[in-house]
Amino acid sequence: MTDKNSLILNFGPQHPAAHGVLRMVMEMDGEVVINADPHIGLLHRGTEKLAEIKPYNHSIGYMDRLDYVSMMCCEHPYVLAIEKLLGIEPPVRAQYIRVLFDEITRILNHLLWLGCHGLDIGAMALLLYCFREREDLLDCYEAVSGSRMHATYYRPGGVYRDLPDEMPQYQANRFISKSKVKKLNYNRQGSLLDFIEDFTNRFPARIDEYETLLTDNRMWKQRTVDIGIVSPERAIALGFTGPMLRGSGIEWDIRRKEPYEVYDQLNFKIPVGVNGDCYDRYLVRVEEMRQSNSIIKQCIAWLRDNPGPVIIDDNKLTTPKRSLMKHDMEALIYHFKLFSEGYTVPEGETYTSIEHPKGEFGVYIVSDGANKPYRLKIRTPSFVHLSAINEMVKGHMVADVVSVIGTLDIVFGEIDR
Amino acid sequence: MVGKKYKQLHQLLDQYLTSYDIGKSYDFDQITLEINKEDLYEICNILKETEQLDFSMLIDLCGIDYLHYGLDNWKTQDVSSTGYSRATLKTENTPEEYENDQPKRFAVIYHLLSINHNWRIRLRTFTGKENPPNIDSVVSIWPTANWFEREAFDLFGIDFESHPDLRRILTDYEFIGHPFRKDFPTSGNLEVYFDEEEEKVKYRPVSITTRPTVPRVIRKDKRNK
Amino acid sequence: MAKGCFRVGLAKEQNNLIDQQGPGFVITSIDKLANWARTGSMWPVTFGLACCAIEMMHSAASRYDTDRFGVFYRASPRQSDVMIVAGTLVNKMAPALRKVYDQMAEPKWVISMGSCANGGGYYHHSYSVVRGCDQIIPVDIYVPGCPPTPEALINGIIELQKKIKKRG
Repeated sequence: MTDKNSLILNFGPQHPAAHGVLRMVMEMDGEVVINADPHIGLLHRGTEKLAEIKPYNHSIGYMDRLDYVSMMCCEHPYVLAIEKLLGIEPPVRAQYIRVLFDEITRILNHLLWLGCHGLDIGAMALLLYCFREREDLLDCYEAVSGSRMHATYYRPGGVYRDLPDEMPQYQANRFISKSKVKKLNYNRQGSLLDFIEDFTNRFPARIDEYETLLTDNRMWKQRTVDIGIVSPERAIALGFTGPMLRGSGIEWDIRRKEPYEVYDQLNFKIPVGVNGDCYDRYLVRVEEMRQSNSIIKQCIAWLRDNPGPVIIDDNKLTTPKRSLMKHDMEALIYHFKLFSEGYTVPEGETYTSIEHPKGEFGVYIVSDGANKPYRLKIRTPSFVHLSAINEMVKGHMVADVVSVIGTLDIVFGEIDR
Repeated sequence: MVGKKYKQLHQLLDQYLTSYDIGKSYDFDQITLEINKEDLYEICNILKETEQLDFSMLIDLCGIDYLHYGLDNWKTQDVSSTGYSRATLKTENTPEEYENDQPKRFAVIYHLLSINHNWRIRLRTFTGKENPPNIDSVVSIWPTANWFEREAFDLFGIDFESHPDLRRILTDYEFIGHPFRKDFPTSGNLEVYFDEEEEKVKYRPVSITTRPTVPRVIRKDKRNK
Repeated sequence: MAKGCFRVGLAKEQNNLIDQQGPGFVITSIDKLANWARTGSMWPVTFGLACCAIEMMHSAASRYDTDRFGVFYRASPRQSDVMIVAGTLVNKMAPALRKVYDQMAEPKWVISMGSCANGGGYYHHSYSVVRGCDQIIPVDIYVPGCPPTPEALINGIIELQKKIKKRG
C-alpha cells in the first residue's frame, strides 16, 4: 500500500550502478526502502523464439550472448543437452579442455564482478586491476577461437579445434621499442598452455593484492557486513543457487553433487559462507577464484601429457576437416548436409544444468525429431536472484540497494534473454 | 536402465502418489510425471512436504505450446509420383491435429530439485481446453515461482489463479499478444520508430518478413544410433 | 559600463552580414580551434546495454586506455557530448534512449557500436528488437563488430574526431 508520505524513486534504466538495464521503482520512507519493484525486459531479445527457427549449431552463438561476462559457461549446458539427446559423449581431451575453459570463465566472471562491485561501492582502483587480469584471459579466448568474447567454441561432440601451439606476439613499432616488446612477449614464447600456466603462477599473488585492499578494510566491511542477509531456509525457498546459496551456508555445488565432464577426477574445495550477508558472498567468490586457479593447473598438467582428438569422429554430427572436404566425396556430402540442413536430434526432452559462476544455469530442450529445437527454455540464475531483491532490500537504505545489486551478480543478457 | 539413485525415487513416488492418476516416464536419466490440472496443487504439496521426497527447490517453471509439434517443411519419408519434394517455405495444409483448440495445446513444466536427497524430477501439466488457458499457481508452495509464472503468462498467455501479481514482465509495457505462441510471427507485428513531427517514439506495422533459410526437417531414420 | 570592461559578441544587425559573406578568416580559425578542443575531450555518457558494454569497459581499462584520448565516461547526459550506444536496443528501451539523447546539450554526436546497434545484428528478426538505433536517434559513426574489439571502438572514436574536425 502506498503511504501518502512515501517517495517513489525511479532507479532508472540508465544508471552507472544499474549493471546494465535495470529499472527499479522504489517506494521509500526517507532514505529507507519500503518496497522495490524491478522492471526487467529492457533487454528482452527473444532468444528462445529465435532459436526455434535456427538449426541447433546456429544457436550456440545466442548462448554466448546471454551472460556476456562468462561466455563459454553459457554454451556448455546447451551443448551438453544436445549431446544427451543425441546419445554421444565427447572425447576425454575435449572434456578437459571444456573444464579448463569453464574455470577460466569462472575467473573472468568473478574478476568482473569484483571490479564492478568495487566500483559501485567506491573502490574504483579495483576495476582497473581486475580488467588487467581479464585482458590476459580474453587473449586465451582469442587464441583458441578467434574472438575475444563470444567464442562459440564448444560444439556437440567436443570443441571446435585443438589448443594452438603459438600465441600471437606484440610487434615493435615506432611507439614501442624492441626491448619493451621483448619484455611484453616473455610469456608468449610457448603454446597456449604455457601462457595459461604463467597466468596461474602470477594470479594467486594478485588475488592476495585484492584481498589486502578489501577483506580487512573497515569501509568495505561497513558497506557489506549485515547487508542483504538471507537465511538458509529462505535461500532455498527463493531458489538461490551458486555463491548466493553457498554464502548462506548450504553446501551445494553441482560440480560435486552431480559431476559432469571430468570434475569427479579433479581435486578442489568448495567455500561455504556462514552468515549469508554480502561480505560472506564476497569471501566465497574470492576463494572460488583461488580454487579455479588450482583446477586450471591440474587441467594443464593433464592436457600436456595426453594428446588426442578433441571432437568425435562421426561426420553426421561434426564437420569433416576442410582440407579433406576439398578432395573426398563423402566428406563433401557430409559437409553439404551439415551446412544446408544440420543434424536432426531424436525426439525427447532433457534438462541439463551446470555450475555457472553465478549459480545453476540450465537448458531445457524439447525436440520433436527435427533439425531445429521445438522449445528451448533457458533457466538462468540471475533471473531468480533478481526476483528476490524486494525481500533482500526491505528496510535498508538506498546506498545498500547498490551493494545488494552488486552482490547478486546479475547480468541483464541472462535475465531478459 | 534405471540408475540406483532413481530406483529409490521411483518406489517412493509409487508409495506416496498412489491415489493420483499420473503418467510416469524415464528418459535420459530423468523422471517425468504427467499430472492432471486438478491434482497439481496437492501433488506439489506432497512432493515438498514429505520428508522422504523433500523437493524443496523449484528450479524452473516454463510454458510450452504444442501446436506445431511434429510439423515440418520438407517431406522426407516418401516420394511422390513427380519425385522427391524440395524444401518448401511453409506447409501447404496444416493437418487437423494441429488445429487451434486441441485440448493438449498448452502445458506447464516444473523442474524440482531436492537438496537433501540430491535428486530431480520434472512435472508436466496440460492446461486443458479452456481459453485463455489457466492453471493453479504454486507461489504459496515455492516463492520462486512468482517471476516464472509471470513470464509464462507474458509469453504464452497462461493464467495462473491466485498469483499475487500477474502482469507482464519481459515484453514491452503495452504489448499485445503472447510472443512465444506458435502462431505469433517471429518478427512480431509492430516495430518502433521515432516520429520527427510529434517528437515521440511511436509504433508502426513491421516492415520485414522472416524468410526461413533452413527448412525444418524431421528425419526418423535412426541415423544417429 | 564600468572601467576596464568592454562588450563582446555580435550585434544583431551584423548577423545577416556574416551569413551572406560567409565566415571570414578570424571566425574560421576560431571554429577550427573550437573543433580541435571538442575532439580533444569527448565525454561519452555511459549507455552500455549489452555485451558491447563490456568491450567498452575494456577500452576504458588499462590496456586500451581511452583516457589518453580525453575520453572520460560521465554518468549524466547533461555533462556529456557523445553517446556510445553499445548493445542491442529493444522496443521497451527505445523511449528511454530518446530521452537520454534529448537531454544532452548541443553539440552532440552518436556512435553506434556493434552490429545490434547498427542494424539489429544477430537479433534482427526478433519481434522485440529495434533494427538499428538510427530508427530512434541520428547516428554519426557506425562501428561494426560483434562485439567490436576495443581497437575497433578506438578507431571509431578517432573517425568521429576526424569528422568533427572536418565539419564541426
